[in-house]
Amino acid sequence: MFNQIKNLAGGEIYLISSLLMFMVFFLIVGVYLIKLSKKHVEIMSNMPIQENQTEAHEED
Amino acid sequence: MQLEKFTYDNKIVRNFGIATLVWGIVGMTVGLLAAMQLFKPAMNLGNQYTTFGRIRPLHTNAVIFAFVGNAIFMGVYYSLQRLLKARMFSDLLSKIHFWGWQLIIVAAAITLPLGITTSHEYAELEWPIDIAITVIWVVFGVNMFGTIIKRRERHLYVAIWFYIATFVTIAVLHIVNSFELPISFLKSYYVYAGVQDALVQWWYGHNAVAFFLTTPYLGMMYYFLPKMANRPVYSYKLSILHFWSLIFIYIWAGPHHLLYTSLPGWAQSLGVAFSIMLIAPSWGGMINGLLTLRGAWDKVREDVTLKFMVVALTAYGMATFEGPMLSLKQINGIAHFTDWIVAHVHVGALGWNGFLTFGVLYWLIPRIYKTQLYSKKLAGFHFWIGTLGILFYAVPMYWAGFTQGLMWKEFTPEGLLKYPNFLATTLQIIPMHVLRSIGGALYLAGVIAMTYNLAKTMRGAKLVANEPAEAMPLSKEIVDSSSADKAWHRVLERKPMKFMVLSLIIILIGGMVEMMPTFTIKSNVPTIASVKPYSALELQGRDLYIREGCVSCHSQTVRPFRSETERYGEYSKAGEFVYDHPFLWGSKRTGPDLHRVGGKYSDAWHYNHLIDPTSMSPGSIMPSYPWLTEQKLDISTTASKIKAMQTLGVPYAEGYDKKANDELMVQAEKISAELKQNNINVKSDREIIAIIAYLQRLGTDIKANKQEIPSNQ
Repeated sequence: MFNQIKNLAGGEIYLISSLLMFMVFFLIVGVYLIKLSKKHVEIMSNMPIQENQTEAHEED
Repeated sequence: MQLEKFTYDNKIVRNFGIATLVWGIVGMTVGLLAAMQLFKPAMNLGNQYTTFGRIRPLHTNAVIFAFVGNAIFMGVYYSLQRLLKARMFSDLLSKIHFWGWQLIIVAAAITLPLGITTSHEYAELEWPIDIAITVIWVVFGVNMFGTIIKRRERHLYVAIWFYIATFVTIAVLHIVNSFELPISFLKSYYVYAGVQDALVQWWYGHNAVAFFLTTPYLGMMYYFLPKMANRPVYSYKLSILHFWSLIFIYIWAGPHHLLYTSLPGWAQSLGVAFSIMLIAPSWGGMINGLLTLRGAWDKVREDVTLKFMVVALTAYGMATFEGPMLSLKQINGIAHFTDWIVAHVHVGALGWNGFLTFGVLYWLIPRIYKTQLYSKKLAGFHFWIGTLGILFYAVPMYWAGFTQGLMWKEFTPEGLLKYPNFLATTLQIIPMHVLRSIGGALYLAGVIAMTYNLAKTMRGAKLVANEPAEAMPLSKEIVDSSSADKAWHRVLERKPMKFMVLSLIIILIGGMVEMMPTFTIKSNVPTIASVKPYSALELQGRDLYIREGCVSCHSQTVRPFRSETERYGEYSKAGEFVYDHPFLWGSKRTGPDLHRVGGKYSDAWHYNHLIDPTSMSPGSIMPSYPWLTEQKLDISTTASKIKAMQTLGVPYAEGYDKKANDELMVQAEKISAELKQNNINVKSDREIIAIIAYLQRLGTDIKANKQEIPSNQ
């Protein structure tokens, strides 16, 4: 069935460079996440369920 | 610092909620009508305003921009105020936003049945309405950012990032895909042509799915799911990772809608690669949602809102796994143009968007009315009939898609097409279409039950229009206590404008890399010397083709498969479309491709086929178009159309606009005389003459000099 495909565009370089681009982007975000403080994450993730408190925001 | 007292605006939330319910019923009813038209042509109701070609865009626009659109605003206006501990920036802007959006919907509901359309899918509305959409969207943006600026919460929760990305990206998509040159109050031509127009349209179309049907809903999921389950989101870090990856990758994937077309191969490859990568951030969101419910599955058993959320997330996971699979060229070769795609989008639309909306409505309405839901039992009924509706919809459509896709490609041992008559493949799947509309009817019944349930809830209590709240104001000075506080994302979470600019840059990268070379490098769209502009009559005919929405069922792009070149003729080249403002490649083949239909049949065949399709193709499900013989072609627009085309670079001779109508009448007389020879008496000034002229021209130009055709495949 797939033999019916007459030609495939040879765009390997685009596939590889797009993957690389994403990997770099992914790594930047990844490094940032590793450095993120636990306290901050906890406060942020509790935000929707603690909104009735008058002083929920983080003390800087 | 003093504790500040203020109120949340619940009235605007309630209004958007009611609009969601009303337009949901309208949009889905129109969808059901369209579904029935595909197995019973009488359901086209015998008049031009309700034929499938005009009803289908009405359905898609109604469910996307009216149902989902209002649901987004309902969710955003509720959650934004609470996450920022502030009332909406301006009650007046909220009101303008609400009524402006409803007026736009009404304008769409009037213009689309009238055949006033640009033909770009999900962007069919003509230029004055496009401008209105831009204005109202800006009103929404000002209202949202105004609220963010006067907030009492320093950091922006992840839901708000999704809202910001939605606002920015939809603005960019809408503006770029609305570059039209008006020729009259309700008619315009896209400035882009052919391949370039196709790329812009599907960059838009794909990202409308991403940034209208996905990111705002993920934002709502990140707010409402923790609220419903009363526990924080599973992983906040995952939400950051999945947010940035999602908006970065999504924007590149548009070209997967154009695989095997004459779009440059490199752009197609980029589209495929990024589509595959899209699985990761999409599933990141789904997993984060489902794992938020870990240890709370006992609640899911009792709480109908959570049931809706679980099915919504599951449908999101299925659709976002299937999407990348469908963008693999081998699978796409079979699935594209079939009901498989219809099944795919409806898993997303009915499951993800629909069910999440229902979950939020059931949760939110009783809360802003400070009451209990009128009937939990009825909500449970809605859940089950809705789920059943999705199954009855999706399974037959998948079956129909596989069947038709394979039938199109099947050869006999002698090497001939097994089903040379396209109609045979359409008739084969009629029972599936009947089942699909039963699925749609079940789903709609659920929505009606919900509307009754919520109406009863609202009538039995009083809206808390202004809900009192209190919070500490933000201190002006920020004392950085630790170096970690300077981390870029923490800074961004406090600086909404910078956040918006960064999101904007990230979403612009993909679009620019794909569009700029396609627009500027000549070799990407090789021209063909024998391809000439349409004659005045053909151009008018083309606009009738657009008005009738023929593109809803007929593609105009032959893919380079033997199964297609055997059936239709030479595969389509980029250079053939350079004068097509807009492109009309289509996305679905309910009927056969028409790119090589020119010269295939006689004028008389086309005449009879348009008046009564079954006379030429027994069993055909195409609607009849008798009004084309009754209505006179409006030739007062010819000159302005030619001039507009000249402005857009179509090489009509200088001064052609003045003599165009003379040439038009000569060509029309010729066709009328030809029909007369076949005992068909029709005046040469009728619309049907123009549409026949256009159909007979389609795809014939390259036959003049076959040797000189450049290959860009």
